[in-house]
Amino acid sequence: MNKFLLILFFVMFVNTNLSSEDNFEKGLRIAKESYESTRGYVDSESDQLMILVDPKGNEVIREISGKTLENDDPNDGDKSIIFFNKPKDVEGTVMLSHTHVNDDDDQWLYLPALGRVKRISSSNKSGSFMGSEIAFEDFSGNDYRKYEWEFIGEEEYDGEICYKLVSIPKYKNSGYTKRIGFTDKLLRPRMIEYFDRKGELLKTLYFEDYQLYNDKIWNADTFRVVNHQNKNKTIYKWINRELNVGINKKDFEKSSLLRLAD
Amino acid sequence: MNFEAIIEKYTVSILDHRIKTLIAILLLVLVATAGARFLEAPSGYRGFVESGQPNYQDILNLEEKYGMIDTLSFVIKPNNGDIFQKDVIQLIHELTEVSWQTPFSSRVSSLTNFQYTTVDGDDINISDFISDTDLMDENSLQELKSLALQERTIVNFILSESARVSFVNISLDVPEDTGFEDPIEFANEQKAYFNAKYPDVFVTVAGSAMYSNNFQTTARSDATSMYPGFLALIIILSYILLRSITASAISLIVIFLSILPSMGMAGWLGFEAQPPLIIAPILILTIALAHAIHILSIALTNMNEGMDKKKSIVESMKINFTPVFLTSFTTAVGVAGVNFGKIPAFSEMANTVVIGSTFSFILSVTILPIIFMLMPIKTDGKSSVVLNALSKLGDLIYRFKLYIITFIGLASLLLINLIPNLYFDDDFDSYFDRVDDWVEVKNIVNDEFGSSFFIFANLSSEETDGITSPEYLKKIDEFARWLETQDEVVTVTTVSDIIKTLNKNMNGGNNEFYSIPDNKPLNAQYLLMYEFSVPYGMDLKNQMTADKSESRLLIRLNMATSKESIEFNERTDEWIRNNLQGYQTDGVVGIPIMMPYVYQENTNGLMRGLLFSFSFIVIVIGITLRSLKLGLISIVPNVVPFILSYGILAIFTNIVTFSHTLSILVSLGLVVDATIHFLSKYKKAESLNLNASDAIQYCFKYVGFPIIVASICLFSGFAFLLQSSFQTNFILGGMCALIILIALIIDLFLLPALLLMFRRRNVV
Repeated sequence: MNKFLLILFFVMFVNTNLSSEDNFEKGLRIAKESYESTRGYVDSESDQLMILVDPKGNEVIREISGKTLENDDPNDGDKSIIFFNKPKDVEGTVMLSHTHVNDDDDQWLYLPALGRVKRISSSNKSGSFMGSEIAFEDFSGNDYRKYEWEFIGEEEYDGEICYKLVSIPKYKNSGYTKRIGFTDKLLRPRMIEYFDRKGELLKTLYFEDYQLYNDKIWNADTFRVVNHQNKNKTIYKWINRELNVGINKKDFEKSSLLRLAD
Repeated sequence: MNFEAIIEKYTVSILDHRIKTLIAILLLVLVATAGARFLEAPSGYRGFVESGQPNYQDILNLEEKYGMIDTLSFVIKPNNGDIFQKDVIQLIHELTEVSWQTPFSSRVSSLTNFQYTTVDGDDINISDFISDTDLMDENSLQELKSLALQERTIVNFILSESARVSFVNISLDVPEDTGFEDPIEFANEQKAYFNAKYPDVFVTVAGSAMYSNNFQTTARSDATSMYPGFLALIIILSYILLRSITASAISLIVIFLSILPSMGMAGWLGFEAQPPLIIAPILILTIALAHAIHILSIALTNMNEGMDKKKSIVESMKINFTPVFLTSFTTAVGVAGVNFGKIPAFSEMANTVVIGSTFSFILSVTILPIIFMLMPIKTDGKSSVVLNALSKLGDLIYRFKLYIITFIGLASLLLINLIPNLYFDDDFDSYFDRVDDWVEVKNIVNDEFGSSFFIFANLSSEETDGITSPEYLKKIDEFARWLETQDEVVTVTTVSDIIKTLNKNMNGGNNEFYSIPDNKPLNAQYLLMYEFSVPYGMDLKNQMTADKSESRLLIRLNMATSKESIEFNERTDEWIRNNLQGYQTDGVVGIPIMMPYVYQENTNGLMRGLLFSFSFIVIVIGITLRSLKLGLISIVPNVVPFILSYGILAIFTNIVTFSHTLSILVSLGLVVDATIHFLSKYKKAESLNLNASDAIQYCFKYVGFPIIVASICLFSGFAFLLQSSFQTNFILGGMCALIILIALIIDLFLLPALLLMFRRRNVV
C-alpha cells in the first residue's frame, strides 16, 4: 500500500514537473523556435509573382522583385525594398520599408512618374498589399513578438502531426482578432486561419513549396490565400530566392532610393 | 342520369362512407400542412423581382464585381446644434469602431475613419479624418467642420450639407439565402446603447438592409395584429348570419382546414413569407366562408321547411355544387392572372390563393356535408326579416328597373370620364409609410440627404489597367459632373476624385493641381500609393476591379417617383450613347432604378392577366349556364364595379400604383362569384317557368341572403387590410373593399333589373 502511494506520488510529481510549462508558454516557445529557425539569413534577394484570382477565375498578375535585410536588433523589424515591375504603369516604382515589431512601420515610396520620394502613412499594416488578399502584416506573421500565443493541442494537418497554435495580435491597428495556425514538427507554419474584427473566419493562408535554403532555413516559396468572405484568392510566389548574398546595407536607407530606382 | 342526380348519388355515397372520406381528406390536409415549416423567410425587396429582370441582372453583375450593394446606416442627429460637438464626434468614433463587429459587414465608413489626405513636405499622410477625440476643443472642431464641408466625398455621403446629420455606413456582404436579421439585431442593440449613453443625440438605423428588413417585420406585425381581430369578426359574423352555433362551428372547421394546407403547400413550393402572402389566408378564409354559408344556409332553410337533415343537405348540395365549383374555379382563374405580373411575391400570394380556393372547394363538398350530418343541428327558424326585406327589394326592382339602369348607367358614364385623369406611377420608398419608426428615419434622411438610396454606374475601359488613363478618368469625371446637373441626383463620387485630391496633395496642396494629370503612369502610381496607405477595409475594392479595367460611380439620389426615375434613366442612357462611345457601361444601376421598371413590366403583365382572366371567366360562365344571353349579361355586373371604383378613385387621386391594378385581379374572381350564384339560380327559375317577377323573387330568396353574407365577409376581410403597415396591402385592401361593396349593390339592383329588361323580349 505504501509502495503504491509512493509510486502515485512519484507519478504526480513527475507529471507536474513536466507540465510546469503551461499552454501559453508552450505556444510562445514553439512560435519563438519557429521564428528563430528562419533567422540568420543575413539578407535575401528574390523575384516575386502575385496572382489575384476573382471568384469567377479571372486572373491578374503582378510582378515584383525584392531585397530584405535582417535586423540584428532583437527589438526591431527587418528592412525591405520592393521594386515594382508589372503592371507596366508602375514599373520603376520602389518601396522601402523599415518594419517595427509592434509600432507603425516607416515606409517611403519612389514614384518615377513624379521623380520624387514620398514618405507614406503609417497605420496601414492591416491594409491590402496591392489589392491582394494578403495584408502587410501577414508577411511578418511568423514574428513571435507580434502576438500572444497559446498552444491548444496537436492535430494532423496534411498528413503530418502539427502543433495547433492560437495567436492574438498585439498591434492595436491589426485587422484581425485572432489567428489559428498549424506548425509542423520541423517548426514550419503550414496553415493559418485569420479571424476578422467581428470574430468571423476571414481567410486562410496556406504555406506551400517549402524549400531548404543554405542547408538550414526553410522558406515557403508559395503563399496561397483564400478569402472565405469575398471568395477571392491570391497566390504569391517567390522565384530565384537567394539568401546571404551580401547586399550593401546602405541600400536600405531613404537616401539611396533615388539611386536604386535608376 | 342528369348532373343533379350524379351529385345526389355522390353526396349520399360520401355520407354513407363518412369515416373513410374524413380520414382520406384529413390525411391530405395533414400532409399538405406539414410543408408550412418550409416557408422561407422573406428576402426583402429582392423577392419583388424576378431573377431574369434586366435591371436586376445589372445589379447582380455589379455585385459580382464590387460586392453586395446593401448597406446598413446609423443616422446620427444631435438634438441641438450640428455634428461638430465633442460628445457627438466621440459617439461617431465609438460607433465606427463597434460597427466593424456587425455580422457580415465588409466595410465601415464614417466621418471619423474617412481616409483623409494631408501633406507635409514630402510626407503624404493618408489616415483617419478624426482619430484623437480627447484633444478636441472648439477651435479644432470648427476647423474639422470646415475641412469636412470642403470634401466632396464626405458631403452628402456621410455628412449632410447642414452638418446636422451624419451617417456611419456599414457595407454588408450577406451570403445568399441569409437575411439581414443578424446585422440588424446588432445595429438595434447599438442604437439602444448609444441612445442611452448619449441622451442628447438621436441615433437610429436606416439603409437598404433596413428597408429590406421592413418587408419581414411588417409581414410579421401584420400577421399578429390582423389575424386575431379578423378571426373574431368572422366568428361573430358567421354566427349572426347563420343563426346557429353548430353551423358557425362547421364554417370555421372548413375555413381552417382550407387555410392550413394552403400555407403548407406554399411551404412545399418554397414560397417566401413576404407581406403580400399575409393576404392569402384572409382571401382563402372569405372564399371558404362563402362556400360554407351558401351550402349551410340553404340546408338550414330546407330543415326549417321541415325536410329531414340528410335530405336537406343533399338538396343543398344539388343546388350549390355547380356554383361552388364555379366560384372556386373563377376565383382561382381571376387570381391566377396575377402570375402575368412580374413580381414573384405577388405571384406566390396568388398561387397560394389558387391552392386555397381548390382546398376550400374540396372541403366544402366532402367534409362539410359529413360534419353537418355528424353534428347536432338545432334551428331556431331563420329570421324572416331579411327574407321579407329581400322580397320587398325584388318588388322595388321590378317596378323601377328602368330608373335603376338609367341611374347606374349615368353614374358610370360620369365616372368613366374621370378615369383618363389617372396615370400609373409608383414610389417604392413609400411602401412603409405606415410604419411610424421608419417614417421618422425617412423624413430625417430625406430632408438632409435627398434620399437614403444610392445608385451606381459601372464604366469599363475595356482594357487592363485602363482606368488610370487620362482619357478614361476625364470621361468618368465628365459623366459624374453631368449626373450632378440632373435634378434627380444629389452628388456623385468617382475614382477621378481620388486622383484629383492626390494630385493636389502631391503638389504641395496647391488647388491648381486639383485636376487629372495627363500622365497614365503617374495616375497608376498615385493609386498604388493610395492603396499602400489605407488600412484594413478601406481599400478601393468597392470602387474598382482587381485588374483596374473598370470602376464605378457612387451616386446619391434625390427622392423621385417611378416616372421621374424612368425618365432619368432614359436621359442618362441617351447621354451615355452620345458621350461615352468606346466604353462599356450598363448605365445607372440600383434599387431606385430597378423598381420602377419592375412596376411597369408588372402593370403591363397584370393588364394581360386581366384580359386573360376576364375572357376566361366570361367563357366559363357562358358554357356552364349554356346561354349566350346570360354570358353577355354577366359581363355588365362584372365590369361596372371596376369602372365605378376607379372613377371614385379618380375623385381622390390621379396616381394608380401597381397595387391598384392588382386589386382588380384579386377581386375579379370574387365579384364574379356573386353573379354566378345569382345567374345559376335565375336559370333554375327560368327552367321552372316562373314569370319575370317571380324569377327575381326566387333568386332573392335563395341567393340574396348568401350573396349579402359573402359580400359582407369579403368586405370586412379587405377592410381589415387597411390596418396593414405595408402600403401595398393597404391600397389593395381599400380598393378591393370598395369594389366588393359596389359589386354587391350592382348585383342586388342592376343585375336583376337587366335580367328583367332582357327577359321581356324573349317572352311571347
